[in-house]
Amino acid sequence: MATNPMHQFNVYKIGPEIKINGIDLSFTNASLFMLISGIFISLFLLLGTKDRKIIPGKFQLISEMLYNFISKMISDTAGKKAKPYFSFIFSLFIFVLFCNMVGMLPYSFTVTSHIIVTLAFAMFIFIGVTILGFVIHGFKYLKIFVPSGVPMVLLPIIMIIEIISYLSRPVSLSVRLFANMMAGHTMLKVFGGFVISLGLVAGWLPLTFSVALTGLEILVAFLQAYVFAILTCIYLNDALNLHH
Amino acid sequence: MKKSDDLDTRLKIAKSKLENSEIKTDRKKGVFLGNAFKLGTELVAAVAVGSIIGFILDNWFGTKPLLIILFFLFGSAAGIYNVIKAAKKMQENKE
Repeated sequence: MATNPMHQFNVYKIGPEIKINGIDLSFTNASLFMLISGIFISLFLLLGTKDRKIIPGKFQLISEMLYNFISKMISDTAGKKAKPYFSFIFSLFIFVLFCNMVGMLPYSFTVTSHIIVTLAFAMFIFIGVTILGFVIHGFKYLKIFVPSGVPMVLLPIIMIIEIISYLSRPVSLSVRLFANMMAGHTMLKVFGGFVISLGLVAGWLPLTFSVALTGLEILVAFLQAYVFAILTCIYLNDALNLHH
Repeated sequence: MKKSDDLDTRLKIAKSKLENSEIKTDRKKGVFLGNAFKLGTELVAAVAVGSIIGFILDNWFGTKPLLIILFFLFGSAAGIYNVIKAAKKMQENKE
């Protein structure tokens, strides 16, 4: 059995090795669980939108709630101009949410506990938002680095700080999701290990903790998806409406 | 359309009940927890990015320890600046 708490994060190949131009494109357990999340999302939303009634069934109710939740979040944080990006933010939120939730099932693999996955999301958002800003505002977008009302003497230092602050966005976005998921799952595994090693005598205490931590982890799984989506909205807002 | 009118009033009553119930405060607690996660990484990420920029520039110009120290300080400043910005945004949302 895997007693090492980090063993759950191993990525291994499933099926044959596929190599194109020296790039390893083999199907791994990470790809498998992304696929599973994708299938869950499709099934869930298809069930929710299958028969549209005035009085909704369970699945329809949940999917409508999700739609309203994201729609309200976008209009609250990024305003009306962000409406065309609804489908992107909705897919992002629901994919991260389902990856986190699928990871909570026993014997499953948490895709979002790998920094390369979250960094890929974050870099995509970062580069996309930067390009969007330049397309909409042209070179005026560089004004985001020059806050108004700063004395000329301080301007170079403030500009460096603003640029570092701008560049730190994808790092904080990706590290937050990755660190939370990895820390939570490691902790669950460690407490699970305590239950086995302490046995019937004192194993009950870590077991209670495990149960409580599982609840907390489900909350964190939802919250992290929410924070990821809301920060995307905030960055989008900065690109759409220049404030400085 | 009697049925849907009836549904509308029933929905309104149910929603007004929800406003005062515990679910609402629980959701607010969740938002606070999300904010807490946000601030922590915001501070650390800027320091890391600043230091990495300093390291790269040091390798370019061959001024080994100087720029990394300078940019570490800039990074720390950017981190605190990030946190202040995020906190201001939170207060705006509250009001």
